[in-house]
Amino acid sequence: MMNDLMGSQAQQMDLQQFTRRHFFSQCSIGLGSIALGSLLGDDLAKAARANPFQPGKPHFQPRAKNVIYMFMAGGPSQLELFDWKPELARRSGDNIPESFIRGKRFAFMNSTFKDQKKLLGPVKQFRQHGQAGMWFSDNIPHIGGIADEMTMFRTCKTNLFNHAPAKLFMNTGTGIFGRPSMGSWVTYGIGSETQSLPGFVVLHSGSRGPRGGAANWASGFLPTTYQGVPLRGSGDPILNLANPAGVSARRQRASIDAINKLNLKRLVATGDPEINTRIASYEMAYRMQSSAPELMDISGESKATLDLYGVEQGKPSYANNCLLARRLVQRGTRFVQLYHTNWDSHGGPGETLTKDFDKVTHEVDQASAALVKDLKAHGMLDDTLVIWGGEFGRTPMSEARQTAGRNHHIDAFTMWMAGGGIKPGNIVGATDEFGFGAIDQECHVHDLHATVLHQLGLDHKRLTFRFQGRDFRLTDVHGNVIQDALG
Amino acid sequence: MPSFFVSPFIPLNFRRLAEATVLVGALAVDLANTEAVGIDFNRDIRPVLSENCFQCHGPDAAKRKTGLRLDTSEGATEARDGVRAIDLADLAKSELLARITATDPDTRMPPPEANSRLTPEQVTLLSEWVKAGGEYDRHWAFKKPVRQLLPSLAANRRAWAKNAVDVFIAAKQAEASVMPSPQAAKATLLRRVSLDLTGLPPSPVQIAAFVADTSPDAFEKVVDGLLQSPHYGERLGRHWLDTARYADSDGYSHDAGRSMWPYRDWVIDATNRDVSFDRFVIEQLAGDMLPDATLPQRIATGFHRNTQINTEGGVDKEQFRVDSIFDRIATTGEVMFGLTLGCAQCHDHKFDPISQVEYYRLFAFFNNADEPRIEAPTAEVLARRAEHGARVKQLETELSALAKEDAKRKPLEASLAKLKKARPSAATTLVMAKRGKPRTTRRFVQGDFTRPAEEMQPGTPSVLHRLAQPDGDRLDFARWVADRNNPLLARVAVNRMWQHFFGRGIVQTENDFGSQGIPPTHPKLLDWLAVEFMENGWSQKQIHRLIVTSATYRQVSLRRADLERVDPYNKWLGRQARFRLDAEVVRDLALASSGLLSAKMGGPGVFPPQPEGCMDLGQHRKTWKASSGEDRFRRAAYTYRWRNTPHPALKVFDAPAGLAACTRRIRSNTPLQALTLMNDPAFVELAVGLARRLMAEADSAANRIRLGFQLCLGREPDAEELRLLTGLVESQRSEFTVQSAEAKAVVAKAKLLGQATQPAGGDTEFAAWTMAARVLLNLDETITRE
Repeated sequence: MMNDLMGSQAQQMDLQQFTRRHFFSQCSIGLGSIALGSLLGDDLAKAARANPFQPGKPHFQPRAKNVIYMFMAGGPSQLELFDWKPELARRSGDNIPESFIRGKRFAFMNSTFKDQKKLLGPVKQFRQHGQAGMWFSDNIPHIGGIADEMTMFRTCKTNLFNHAPAKLFMNTGTGIFGRPSMGSWVTYGIGSETQSLPGFVVLHSGSRGPRGGAANWASGFLPTTYQGVPLRGSGDPILNLANPAGVSARRQRASIDAINKLNLKRLVATGDPEINTRIASYEMAYRMQSSAPELMDISGESKATLDLYGVEQGKPSYANNCLLARRLVQRGTRFVQLYHTNWDSHGGPGETLTKDFDKVTHEVDQASAALVKDLKAHGMLDDTLVIWGGEFGRTPMSEARQTAGRNHHIDAFTMWMAGGGIKPGNIVGATDEFGFGAIDQECHVHDLHATVLHQLGLDHKRLTFRFQGRDFRLTDVHGNVIQDALG
Repeated sequence: MPSFFVSPFIPLNFRRLAEATVLVGALAVDLANTEAVGIDFNRDIRPVLSENCFQCHGPDAAKRKTGLRLDTSEGATEARDGVRAIDLADLAKSELLARITATDPDTRMPPPEANSRLTPEQVTLLSEWVKAGGEYDRHWAFKKPVRQLLPSLAANRRAWAKNAVDVFIAAKQAEASVMPSPQAAKATLLRRVSLDLTGLPPSPVQIAAFVADTSPDAFEKVVDGLLQSPHYGERLGRHWLDTARYADSDGYSHDAGRSMWPYRDWVIDATNRDVSFDRFVIEQLAGDMLPDATLPQRIATGFHRNTQINTEGGVDKEQFRVDSIFDRIATTGEVMFGLTLGCAQCHDHKFDPISQVEYYRLFAFFNNADEPRIEAPTAEVLARRAEHGARVKQLETELSALAKEDAKRKPLEASLAKLKKARPSAATTLVMAKRGKPRTTRRFVQGDFTRPAEEMQPGTPSVLHRLAQPDGDRLDFARWVADRNNPLLARVAVNRMWQHFFGRGIVQTENDFGSQGIPPTHPKLLDWLAVEFMENGWSQKQIHRLIVTSATYRQVSLRRADLERVDPYNKWLGRQARFRLDAEVVRDLALASSGLLSAKMGGPGVFPPQPEGCMDLGQHRKTWKASSGEDRFRRAAYTYRWRNTPHPALKVFDAPAGLAACTRRIRSNTPLQALTLMNDPAFVELAVGLARRLMAEADSAANRIRLGFQLCLGREPDAEELRLLTGLVESQRSEFTVQSAEAKAVVAKAKLLGQATQPAGGDTEFAAWTMAARVLLNLDETITRE
């Protein structure tokens, strides 16, 4: 027995000798680039060097490389924005025919929405925009101005009608906690182009953070490497990005050098490729410390650009986030998600379809359109899929609170997408005379997810991850690519 | 340069890794065994059928194609239109053979539209199995574990083994021609076992004592001491809190704070007392229904009150009550059975023999509970209350002695009323309680609570052991779960213990022991441990002791070129595993090294510092006022856990947020972790504390570095390491001498913490040592258990 053990010890010594030699011959190239090939065998070496955010291979030729998802938290009213219903205006005040609502469930069933059957006509004026004559309310003239760039999905459908569960559903395809969000699936599938910024970034603006918080950009059972990294509007853009007091960049460099040298020594001693990853993590952290402030520094942007978005320098805003989204994608970030609150228009204080709705539309209209225009001006729109929408829409019936508002509605609501190979100047689906449900081409959340993945060159049925004995997908066992939306 | 990284050996491309392991497990390695021992249905055949056939020809009756069922022998041998998938009368004529070898895509199975395809090896394997008689066997996990005989070993391997665990490990190593690694150095071993059992590093004094102790049972003595430490419960109990999805807020939209810490403290205490695991389970599922239930037994039922609560406007409460029961069934399945019971919520299970009807029978057990909040007074509060009660009584007695018109009466009445209001308050906690008027349970069509179907009575899945009480209640259910006849509970529990000590379970899919799970690498060891566990009074400490005192556990974790070739994933445990510490231990270790750790146990959650703005990401901007004094430096097990805005330093090291049961933590390795350890003010203050300690407790630079190594790494530095760090201190010192403002800025931090006690050498010296301490706390080895 002793001899056997001595044998393996001898082999271990060989291994350490080899690594040591290798290290000293390679270290001039840079830390973290040690090839462990002949040491650990090819497969392991591959794994050791593997970088999960390295641009991955899609399943087929992609139309889009990046995604910017403007998440309108709270549920924007499609009936005051996109889905012009003259019949609803004419019959405002009438009861909705029983056939529409029989057996349906709504939020606030036991309180403010009890027996609410009265139709509420569109509160806003509408007009047509673009070559296809798409309707937009006068609240969003700028978005109307990019009608010819977008596909409007008028018949989006989801399963859950409370905010937090519905947000989870829109982001992860299920109301069950612990599943990965779309941004996590995408970065897991095709990695990221940037080596000095996170691949999946989340920004938020508005009166409050999104309901559900971190679950909305969580990686679920996927490695946490793929979870969304919140970029903050004030203070350090990324948590703990700034050095502690008294630590200059030079001092930080000296510290990281010491850490990495000691880690490298341990790598040699143990042969554990995980240390190689650790070394590279410290190098990337150091790079992020300069690239993230550079990203946030918009002083180099022209006045014309700032005016296009409506950015006020130094003031956190949705407009600022839209500009940052372009800058992120420019630098190789794969998936950017912007949350803006609050779109919850029940009619109560702070939630009216008049003043409060006007406020939120004003906050997002110009910048949303500016992002599409600016991406186009930079030649980036073809590669970047822009998505705009909330977790659900609003009912055609009014909800009587202090003012007439609208309740949550999941049967039909509007989202739009632009760029990334999406057909321009296009409408998918149609709703009935009241905008209650789809009469043509329903676009379920699963279908929207399948379509987004498709544009990125990913087959939603093949992008899977084995967990609890099952191959999980963003679209579960559902989803069809919405062919009518493809350019 | 690579971007965000993840451990290549654990989570990275887990799917590919898992596939590779399945393949290796089911075919490459075991195929070699097949020649010697014949085809084993559970090991060789069931995984292939499950993966490729059960989706359409399995337990789910609703989705079964052409009525053919291949998960049972009866189904496979039944005549359908005169054809049998397996024809026992003439095996060669079995339809299964024809279908899997057909070249015509219309007849070949699996069909082209299926997402699966049989490899040529799998076709051969299935064919051989059918030709040999197509014999089925019950899925291994549904058979009751029996104590396995110890395998016989060659003399050299027998000499290596220290206990029964090693005998099973050595037998597999012999089959795979793997030699074990030598025992780790004593210092390494002590650090490993201390971190594993208490989550705290050994002190330099403890290390020196252990190294000096040459008695043959020196290690066993250390282990026994650690098992008796109150910190044991804080470490091992935290694992159970992961499975219980414990957190201190409601989740969903509002994420309101909740008082739940009495349950957390109950878990830590029960783990420390080594409450027998069957009792531990029964009390958490139905402690409230035990005869004369005590307060702790009621607090224990908080296990299933850790579900989230949606308090946003407009919710249908019944919907979320039903959702929380779905969560309870899924959690019970994963944690106590290693079964994906949740899969049968909407339809029959696709792979395991659990029907949707059986799912709603389980639902019925959970459906008849109320969900109250009760007071959970601690012993201290009870004592204060007793004192208070005595004083009330005293005043009342005085009052009753006075005449009605006595002038003293009024003021006395006033003070009595005041006193009564001042009854010492107690924290509350969420519990289960038996419901007076039972609810009727119905099956929900497709799991949709708005589509109730036929009425269901409580019952358990027929594939498992019998329920003693046919129409039992939640307590009977709890006793059924903890029954010695349950084939799964003990196996699943010892498997998670194994995972804790080796980084991976004997069953790698620790939450799926069903037919889609990866079969155990050491099935006999798993069963032996499970039986040992049950027969030793379900003592977790006994099994922990057995595992950590094994030769297998004591091996070095260093990579070996020969092992990397024959066993790249270390299935046969030719070495120990080297892995990053859990999030809590990362912080606790830094606290302990810096000497700032508070030993205080239990009580409401505390608020260690976190960067500004972290609470903005939830719907409501909650406050996070950093605790001061002792509470600032408590173990991370006591950090307040908001579900929607978890503490960033815990989250970045993969601590679960309590959204769902977590039976295994991911171990990522990212730049955000680097930023946290280097720049997070909470870690910087610990670097300051460590620097102060090094300067106070050691004189020369070399001795300070030695002490730092002892405190953070549990070992002595070598000459090169000493030189590297000395160089850093010297260069930092000279730079700080020039940039004295920077030195002052570093020291200002220490003053804030009341730690700057005029260190010798002044600000410059202190700042330089803070830089060195920060490097030590950032080392990979520091946050790794080797």
